[in-house]
Amino acid sequence: MTQQRERPIEIINPPNMLKVKVGGRIAPADPAAIARAEAALADMKEEFADWLTEEVDKLEAALVKVHTDGLASAAGDELFTVAHDLRGLGATYEFPLVTRMAASLSRLVETSEKRTLVPVDLVDAHVGAIRAALRQNIRTDEHTIGRTLAEELETRVIALVGAPA
Amino acid sequence: MAGELPAGVAFAKLRVLLVDDNAAMRGLVRAVLGAFGCDNVFEAADPKRALGILSVEQIDVIITDWKMTPVDGLSLVRHLRNPEKSSNPFIPVIMLTAYAEPSRVREARDAGVTEFLVKPFSSEQLFKRLQVIVNRPRPFVRTKAFFGPDRRRLNNEYEGPERREDAAL
Repeated sequence: MTQQRERPIEIINPPNMLKVKVGGRIAPADPAAIARAEAALADMKEEFADWLTEEVDKLEAALVKVHTDGLASAAGDELFTVAHDLRGLGATYEFPLVTRMAASLSRLVETSEKRTLVPVDLVDAHVGAIRAALRQNIRTDEHTIGRTLAEELETRVIALVGAPA
Repeated sequence: MAGELPAGVAFAKLRVLLVDDNAAMRGLVRAVLGAFGCDNVFEAADPKRALGILSVEQIDVIITDWKMTPVDGLSLVRHLRNPEKSSNPFIPVIMLTAYAEPSRVREARDAGVTEFLVKPFSSEQLFKRLQVIVNRPRPFVRTKAFFGPDRRRLNNEYEGPERREDAAL
């Protein structure tokens, strides 16, 4: 629905209390602050591999439940939740290829409607590829095998559920 | 520009509520906020706990995930933007989510999010969202069907989702 159809429109300009609270305008760029943030993330780098492994363990555990209960169950929603989290975390943990594959998996099982239609073997293929990327330290799609695998998974997902909206 | 505050000074005064069911993601965002100078960070693993914190703490900005159970972040935003239910319907909300599709951005905007940021996010993107919330808050709009930040973007302002260059579509 567009705003034009929602007349009458009341425009409200609340007082900018946040600007008052912080004491003025914030500089539009603060390279020192960004550098500190990047350094803070770099300090956590040693943990990234373990944290990513934990997320992939969760994904595999969700898949085990899917094999028992089926995708069209609460287990399917749980699997989507973990895949969706992995989509958001993979690149931060320096595995953008995992983010890419998890994004494909998320699209495959995003809704309960899709989960009634998709074959579990394609879900298995995604989870197996993500685990393999982690195990073999294939981080980006500059790696030929990693890229080929990701493209193949994405192609199969698009064939089943269509391209991203 | 003269008189503009460095982030470390300005953000130190902000009180931020993080809502995400993934503890690792909360830890990452908290680390970035801490580096910006913002140490007043509250965490909630779900919207229900978030509302509990909001009932007792003065929060300036909310950063929330979308996909959570049993109540999702979008429902939290709708609740917050309901003047009959919310103590601060104008509170700025950054939706930080792995959803990247334009249809999702529209849905979030129509629920009343202030800014949209796609995971995996960069610290610079988060900085820009916080900066624009303080420097150039959008007016609010009330219609029969909507209450929230003006969904029309201001001139020269960020448009649509931004992602890290290495993020998957």
